[in-house]
Amino acid sequence: MTANRLPAQPGEYIDRSKPISFTWNGEPIQGFEGDTIASALTANGVRVVARSMKYHRPRGYLTNDFWDPNSFVQVGDDPNVRSAHRLAEANMAVEAQNVWPSLERDIRAANGLVSRFLTAGFYYKTFIKPQRLWPAYAKVLSTFAPGGTVDLDTPHRYHDKRYAHPDVVVAGGGPAGMAAALAAADEGASVMLVEHGHQLGGHLLWGDVNDRMLADELRSRVESHDGIEVLLDSTVTGRYDDNWTAIVQRSHPIAVERLIKARAKMLVVAAGLIERPYVFAGNDKPGVMTSGAVRRFVNMYAARPGTRAVVFTSNDDGDAAAEDLARVGIELARVVDARTGGNIVAAKGGAKSVEGVELADGSTVDCDLLVTAVGWTAPTSLLNMSGDRPVYDELAARFFPSRDIDTVLTTGGMAGDGSHEELVAHATATGRLAAGRAAVTTHRLQAATARAAAVSGAEPAWPSDDRSALPRHPQRELFRSTTHGIVDYSEDVGSKDLVAAAKEGYDSVELLKRYTTATMGPSQGKLETVNTVAVLAEARGETIEEVGTTVWRPPYAPITLGALGGRVFEPVRVSSIQPWHEANGVTTILAGQWIRPEHYGDPAAEVRNTRENVGITDVTPLGKLDLQGPDVPKLLSQLYTNKWMKLGVGNVRYGIMCAEDGVVLDDGVTGRLGDEHYLMTTTSSGAGAIWEWAENWLQTEHPEWQVHVTPVTTGFTSINVAGPKSRELVSRLVDDVDLSPEAFAYMQVRTGTVAGVPNCFMWRIGFTGELSFELHVPSGHGLHVWESLLEAGADLGVKAFGLEAQRIMRLEKGHFIVGQDTDGLTKAPSTGMGALIKLDKDDFAGKPELEWALQDQSLPHVVAIQTTDPRIVPEEASQIVRAGTNEILGRITSSRMSPTLNRSICLGQVAPEVAAAGSELTVVLTTGERITARVMEHHAHFDPEGERLRG
Amino acid sequence: MSFLRSLSLNSVGQRVAGSRGANGDSQSKPPRYSAGGLFVKGARNQPWPRVWREVPLQKSYDVVIVGGGVHGLACAYYLATNHGITNVAVLDKAYLGSGGSGRNTAIVRSNYLTPEGVAFYDRSLTLYNTMSVDLNLNVMFSERGHMTLAHTDGALRTMRWRAEVNKLQDIDSSVIDPQEVKKLAPSLDVSDHARYPILGALYHPPGGTIRHDAVVWGYARGADHRGVEMHQKTEVLDILVEGGEGRDGKGAGGKVTGVRTNRGDISAPIVVNCTAGWATLISDMAGVKLPISTRPLQAAVTEPVKVFLPTVVVSGSLHVYVSQTDRGELVFGASVDPFNTYNIRGSLEFTEELAGHVLELMPGISRMRLLRQWSGLCDMTPDYSPVMGFTPVDGFLCDVGWGTYGFKAGPVSGEQMAETIATGQTAKLIEPFKLSRFATGELVGEKGAAAVGH
Repeated sequence: MTANRLPAQPGEYIDRSKPISFTWNGEPIQGFEGDTIASALTANGVRVVARSMKYHRPRGYLTNDFWDPNSFVQVGDDPNVRSAHRLAEANMAVEAQNVWPSLERDIRAANGLVSRFLTAGFYYKTFIKPQRLWPAYAKVLSTFAPGGTVDLDTPHRYHDKRYAHPDVVVAGGGPAGMAAALAAADEGASVMLVEHGHQLGGHLLWGDVNDRMLADELRSRVESHDGIEVLLDSTVTGRYDDNWTAIVQRSHPIAVERLIKARAKMLVVAAGLIERPYVFAGNDKPGVMTSGAVRRFVNMYAARPGTRAVVFTSNDDGDAAAEDLARVGIELARVVDARTGGNIVAAKGGAKSVEGVELADGSTVDCDLLVTAVGWTAPTSLLNMSGDRPVYDELAARFFPSRDIDTVLTTGGMAGDGSHEELVAHATATGRLAAGRAAVTTHRLQAATARAAAVSGAEPAWPSDDRSALPRHPQRELFRSTTHGIVDYSEDVGSKDLVAAAKEGYDSVELLKRYTTATMGPSQGKLETVNTVAVLAEARGETIEEVGTTVWRPPYAPITLGALGGRVFEPVRVSSIQPWHEANGVTTILAGQWIRPEHYGDPAAEVRNTRENVGITDVTPLGKLDLQGPDVPKLLSQLYTNKWMKLGVGNVRYGIMCAEDGVVLDDGVTGRLGDEHYLMTTTSSGAGAIWEWAENWLQTEHPEWQVHVTPVTTGFTSINVAGPKSRELVSRLVDDVDLSPEAFAYMQVRTGTVAGVPNCFMWRIGFTGELSFELHVPSGHGLHVWESLLEAGADLGVKAFGLEAQRIMRLEKGHFIVGQDTDGLTKAPSTGMGALIKLDKDDFAGKPELEWALQDQSLPHVVAIQTTDPRIVPEEASQIVRAGTNEILGRITSSRMSPTLNRSICLGQVAPEVAAAGSELTVVLTTGERITARVMEHHAHFDPEGERLRG
Repeated sequence: MSFLRSLSLNSVGQRVAGSRGANGDSQSKPPRYSAGGLFVKGARNQPWPRVWREVPLQKSYDVVIVGGGVHGLACAYYLATNHGITNVAVLDKAYLGSGGSGRNTAIVRSNYLTPEGVAFYDRSLTLYNTMSVDLNLNVMFSERGHMTLAHTDGALRTMRWRAEVNKLQDIDSSVIDPQEVKKLAPSLDVSDHARYPILGALYHPPGGTIRHDAVVWGYARGADHRGVEMHQKTEVLDILVEGGEGRDGKGAGGKVTGVRTNRGDISAPIVVNCTAGWATLISDMAGVKLPISTRPLQAAVTEPVKVFLPTVVVSGSLHVYVSQTDRGELVFGASVDPFNTYNIRGSLEFTEELAGHVLELMPGISRMRLLRQWSGLCDMTPDYSPVMGFTPVDGFLCDVGWGTYGFKAGPVSGEQMAETIATGQTAKLIEPFKLSRFATGELVGEKGAAAVGH
């Protein structure tokens, strides 16, 4: 089976003492530890590993690295695995993707027969008529979607993230990256060296004996250096503002992938070069490979990629590939040298392999392996992300970064060429420069902290960049031969498609990309962009420099959603009384971050008990802001529409807040606890937003106001005690406050001791319409006070009630809820609270809009509504229409069956023409049935005079 | 205004007849796209003609449109098709569709909350529905259904509100329960142990996605066939105004005379600002202040996998919307970033939050890989509604301030702007969006139900 495994190679990375086996499309494959899936498959004689996207042409390995567009396989539940990068593991189940019924016999390959009609963008020109058939076409097209299959039962495990603060991050662990890391670490910098592959060494790994010696020497120094952390099989995948770098670590021992977020003081980019494929007829046949691909197969994995080779070379790497092939006994049928005018024109062959190559001189050479070495692309992504646009150099036939920015330095192949010595020298200088600049940044950061005294000495000078530039070796510009071939392998886009699209007017590189989808596939243009640009330049008769290139966006290498998402930090909030709720049959409801008691079995009974006896409810999520300082009244006047300058100590006032467009933002009460001490309450859902709103005014508009805002929502457990017997109940637990109506009237606040807990705030307010006391108890004592109330009031019939009962009671009383009975368009005058808008104040949020709104006769009104048939409760959001039409006049915003009145009650928003008391309304139920209803005189359906409340 | 009316009735009408002949290179009978055409061209190996012509920039036009996105091109197209005004140039500083038109996530729907919103977007959806035929270019409208998830009872109430409004207007839209949600999108976690359980959804079957670039090219090609000129890499550096109250004769009371570009001055009695991201900068050139702030909206796409998500899914609570293209990629978007900037580099935090929220909805896709992120600019107005129509500078019109939902509105905006230009009267559908509303307190808005406006 493993006839294509070569004898031991001097630089091989497989461990022949550890054989492993796995399956490929169900067939057994033998390999060794250290093999990639690709090298094991190749050693087992597998040549076709995928089918192309559109024409389903058979494909073999092309570049044999992470970016190989033909390498995608499914491994178990993991789709789109890069088989030329992923290490083989025992018993893994590897399968070809996107083939049907099988890799060998793929029915969709029939598309290839009609390829001349399926040019890029063909779908824009057809399936237009008849229009009703397009959905059917679309369905068929979507079955052509490339890629593997997601197993929707894949468990979403936590992927914790790591935060790091290295002085220097080095992207790339080749010779330049290693030398830069060593130099920086020698200067005392903490260095994170990130290597994309499984070993340090970069291109030296598949090189000759001198290359391997240098790699071994640098690697052993790196590994023994305390200042360098090496991350293998990891990629610096994004560089964001201020060198916030994202590193994806695929080699974590536990997590499938881990995201490391590093705030690097300096980033050194030594990402090396990516070898470009050559565009010619048949260039996607299995067996056509880049020089790097064969050298990796042969030298690193001892896998034989073919038996008889033609090498098309234009540089040292192509020559070296030819030498390597000859050395291991692969027949070298021909070396075609571009430097002396040689060229290849077309690869011949059938479905399984290249069988020969036609040369420019007209001759054809038989072979089953065609190696190309036509030059390099610098993956300048990290520089793009730093704001740089690369520039093209004709001499070296590749793009270079236009410059280094202060905190991002380039070295290695991206910066130029040169001997080992020159590369190491440049990288060493780069590492030293990075360390020097990182030290300055460290000094600045320390000097900016509160412990600045600890910083010794003056700030060192910012080291200037005095590195001598690396030489650039000449490389012939070889992008396309005289024939047309594939440019984007993952998208099945050929040079012919690009030329046709350019002639049609899609002739800027961005339009061309969008129209043909070239460079949009999984390698995101790393192999394809420069060839695309070159073909376009040729079609337009322009230079590559004139055409320019596309912007490389993050991420540099794809990253799993699991690693990015990590653990979701969404707190779940419960009050300190939650254990009691749970022990007493609560049904909970989710309210933003909070879990709240909805009811304890029978909300109607909870209402009746509260109206007849006394009930207690947990209202802890109520937003609470502690306000202190001499200018609190100014802040309150700014936020609320009514007046606050003269609120006396011990008093409480209700107010509504509006946004600048006059729309109701929140409402609630604020009480004055002391001279310069206030407690503001907000709606539960508005707690966070109103805190930000208050801070926004204080920090941006009125920084001169002396006010401290402290959110104390969770610091207090809030309990509302409501019902005719509430005073009796509360008085049994409070000794130090006179609770008589004369001493503690409606809309007042007191501070006292409840059930032995000091410093509780007591308000006489209430949403339920009953005599009620709202107690804000330091959270640690919440449960104690709650249980004390239940115990002390047992003979009074005290019972807990939940949110549902509270909502029923507030609806009986006609209190609107911001966000339910109002919406994102409801301006304050609509709520019937026009009297609380004080235009004679100097300023308050929303004032100009409210001036208009008060004049506006067309605004809807919030009104109480009762259905003619008392048994029908229209669902909330039922629409109110003009009788006999579909013209919308309003809607029901709240509705319940009232246990107190034994009938259906509603609040709604209606147009002014039907807002008057007694107006007849037509309500469309969600079933479509229309019923009649009537607008009530008061918002309150029950006790409109508020006698119970004030009792 | 009287000036505009006379233009549309007289000078434009005359110039239409004359200018095309003088121009000479108008395409006489461009070949239509069809399967048959593809077959013939393929068999004979013949090229297709340019999708729009490359012509020299003239010294003057009747109408200059700044911004070659969906809005500008649709406006040009409808000026030519509906009103016979063809001496029009569309200028873009980069390439056609390089701004928001090519950066949005291409979702269309009409299940809005207010009757005005519904009417407006329903017209847009109608235009999208027949667009492939109208423009003779397949824009790949995929009516795959649009689902807005509710995670709280409050959200569910808002969904029901939208559904009830929609029903009365004959828009196909209803509230569905978690089991129906699961049936439509099996990848969603509808269990009640999720941190934000899915309590239901607003389902809108006619909503869907469209190939955004194709819309751009279709309008450009259609406009080109009727004589409109498209000029790429043509950046407007200044707007020429005379007689205004402000600096250099700009501002209120002034009258537009043309634009200054990197390729020279162009005279034109009507200049239309159809830009996004740069709307305020362009308007400033005419001395017109817009109450707009510019914020980035980020998006991302995954590697392709076999199609498993047949509908568009939106979750306001989790600030995410997602759909799967026919190519198999998941396309994600979020809400606008909470700060003003022109920076479109994108942030890591965005992808982290996005992935976290997506996995809350679809825990099974944690091994899918994010392939690319990008960002576009959104022009936000105080009432989340656009600014359209006339401005205090005579001859200077705006179609800007589209926030996060400009793409959906492109066709109808173009149609209505064209009518406004041609008749000199603000078209009825865009009347609520006039610039003067900010001075008279007539703000409109959809924000009540459209926190994530997709």
